[in-house]
Amino acid sequence: MTILETIHRLRETGVLGMNRRNAEYIMRSNPRAFFPLVDDKLKTKQLAEAHQIPTPPLYHVIEHHGDIPVLEKVLSGHQDFVIKPARGAGGSGIVLVKDHTLGGFIKQNGEIILMKDLTYHISDILSGIYSLEGLEDRAFIEGLVHPDTIFDAVTYCGVPDIRIIVYRGVPAMSMVRLPTQASDGKANLHRGAIGVGIDMAGGTTLAGVHRSGVVTHHPDTHKPVTGIQVPHWERMLVIAAKAVDMTGLHYLGVDLVIDQEQGPLLLEMNARPGLQIQIANQTGLLRRLDLIDKARPGVFATPETRVAWALETFSASTPV
Amino acid sequence: MKRPALLLAVALLILSFALISYRILWLEYPILPAAPAKVWQLSMDASIKGGEKETTVLIGLPSTQRGQLVVDEHFHPGTLSFNLLREGPNQVGVWSGHISPRGEAIGYSSTIQVQPPRLLKTKPPKLGPYPENIGETEQKLAMRLEEKWDSLPPTDRLRRIAAAVNGFWGDPLPDAQDLQAWSALQDKFGRVTASLVLLRAAGLTAQVVEGLPLAESITNSTVTGIEVWTGQEWEHLQPEKGEIYQKPVPLLPLTTGGLPAVRTLNGELSEIRWTLHREIINQWRIKFERIRRSNRWLDRWSLFRLPEEFQRTFRILMLVPIGALMICLLRNIVGFPTFGIFLPVLMALAFRNTGLAYGLGIFWGVVLIGYVVRRWIDRLRLLLVPRLSVILTLVIVCITIFALIGNKFDLRAFMAVGLLPFVILTMTIERFFVIIEEAGVREGLWTAVGSAGVAVVTYGILEIEPLQLTFFVYPELLFAVAAVQVLLGRYTGYRLLELFRFRRSGGA
Repeated sequence: MTILETIHRLRETGVLGMNRRNAEYIMRSNPRAFFPLVDDKLKTKQLAEAHQIPTPPLYHVIEHHGDIPVLEKVLSGHQDFVIKPARGAGGSGIVLVKDHTLGGFIKQNGEIILMKDLTYHISDILSGIYSLEGLEDRAFIEGLVHPDTIFDAVTYCGVPDIRIIVYRGVPAMSMVRLPTQASDGKANLHRGAIGVGIDMAGGTTLAGVHRSGVVTHHPDTHKPVTGIQVPHWERMLVIAAKAVDMTGLHYLGVDLVIDQEQGPLLLEMNARPGLQIQIANQTGLLRRLDLIDKARPGVFATPETRVAWALETFSASTPV
Repeated sequence: MKRPALLLAVALLILSFALISYRILWLEYPILPAAPAKVWQLSMDASIKGGEKETTVLIGLPSTQRGQLVVDEHFHPGTLSFNLLREGPNQVGVWSGHISPRGEAIGYSSTIQVQPPRLLKTKPPKLGPYPENIGETEQKLAMRLEEKWDSLPPTDRLRRIAAAVNGFWGDPLPDAQDLQAWSALQDKFGRVTASLVLLRAAGLTAQVVEGLPLAESITNSTVTGIEVWTGQEWEHLQPEKGEIYQKPVPLLPLTTGGLPAVRTLNGELSEIRWTLHREIINQWRIKFERIRRSNRWLDRWSLFRLPEEFQRTFRILMLVPIGALMICLLRNIVGFPTFGIFLPVLMALAFRNTGLAYGLGIFWGVVLIGYVVRRWIDRLRLLLVPRLSVILTLVIVCITIFALIGNKFDLRAFMAVGLLPFVILTMTIERFFVIIEEAGVREGLWTAVGSAGVAVVTYGILEIEPLQLTFFVYPELLFAVAAVQVLLGRYTGYRLLELFRFRRSGGA
């Protein structure tokens, strides 16, 4: 196949490229001033609370190296928890702890981490190793999510999350990201997690993408990833739709997790969401974004009207 | 959204184009500054013997005029005072002062480019008077002799006269008495004056040119020729031989209009020697010399006016934006990953000191050593800034060891790393490590190869000397580069590598 044919086919499919995403969507829709709201997970969390959007419970914030000594006392009060850098990118610097052990903790993947290693890790976070521009950072500890069992068969120890691309407040495309052994229990695609597209209309999973190739089964559990009905589907879409009103960013990737007890929780948001979601959904974003741009003004009235319009318009069976 | 960027790009292109056109059309800059040009090196040295009184020597010197360009000139006045005068169309060097009994040596040298004159619409020159000392009888004689050619066009008339000067009058042969009178006249006044009389009688404007034969030569005398206006251009008659020279005329004029090339007052030139030889220099050298002495607006604001030691820096600086442009291309059109934008450009600059092979060797060597050490250091739990400092120190140690090894084996390139690369290498090691940690070894190596590749391409561009010269002569090309950069900034099509990344999406 020649290059020109490939370009033509990608255009036909409406695949959104990096250049166009940056120039026509991110730069036009996302005012720079609002980036810190999503680049800093703590700020996102506070914002979500102010808008009555549920997030995992915040246990503690560490701002200075001097705060580290009180850590032991804080952690002893919680059986499981997650340590995150506030400004970390791509899932780096996140430690999931599921239990205590003598002199340390058991991580999600079963490894043991000693208290002194954990404090070193936090000290790294504070000095900005994981932060986007190497700036000094804050670390925070929040509750570990106990994911809904629906994805248990296709998850390798970790928390699957759901990414929804929202444009002008309208959910446009979505996928669930399933951790694998290779991704070390993390849900980031570039670490080796698989992304599985979700049919917007029904909330059932489609085929998946693993390392830019299409897959139908999980590489570790060998269970099929397609045809899974995602619970709380509409509620999650509404949360995603609200994120725009919350942040003022009009082209956004919203990451959610589904807790067994609390239901959908907002995890974080991304002002520069990746493009692999198009591979997971076997279709391009461009035409959906165009449809949103052409929707009549009434559609944009409330998060609920936007979700209703999206459910009606975007469906895998009537591909757009 | 796209239009303002497009307008800006077009405006930048127009600005760039306008300034370049101004330089080429009005200031006569070379279109290809790096192309070689042939020039003549002229030098004159003479010794003067003087008397009691102040001695003055006047020598006609070539000046920039139609058909020739004086690239540079130097005068050696000795102990005399020197002045440059204009006499009519001529440039005359005047050396004057008291000559010591041992005599005085003077000199002059210049570089001259002989080029075909541009065809300009010049006014036909006025017909002058007959030469001095020519009485009415001689005038009438000349008119009788050339009468039969009056109906011919000027060029043919000139050719008949040239033949006549050589003694061939053609049919019908003129009156024998007239012919005799004419040869007496020619003997009395000389061939040059005789030719001038005949030309004047034929209604052709003519002027005497004194100059040097344009050939590799050392000579002590000048030759005299006659320029004749034939309605469109000046043709050149060589009266001693009765020949009309083909273009280009092999004569370098020193004076025109009958002024002697060399005149002395109260003294004598005991010896004069003219030396002419060919040389090949770059077009920009020619410009360089002229711009330095020009007072025109863009010439005064030219980079050639900078002191020489800074010019070298600017020759390179002018090309750095092209390097950045390359990076834009490779990142946004191809989709190559690189460590930032400046890293590859700075690497390319560093390669200029070391050469490509050693530069790449040092780059990979230090990055790999650095990576191993960085891996190991990770266990020491150092804070960010001190950790970077450790790596920086390591890089300097590596470079120093390389230099010492280079010294042992007499490899200059190993020592010539300069000050620039240590920052680049430190940042590269850190970024390399982080990418490998976060995205895997493949991604890390791919990015390192991408950066090195972009650096090599950029280095290749920086080393193109004609390009350096072109940008140096026409710095406004930077506006054009900026225009392309603006356009690239608005390129929203697919990146080449995205075609592979998304090749399967929606393939059904």
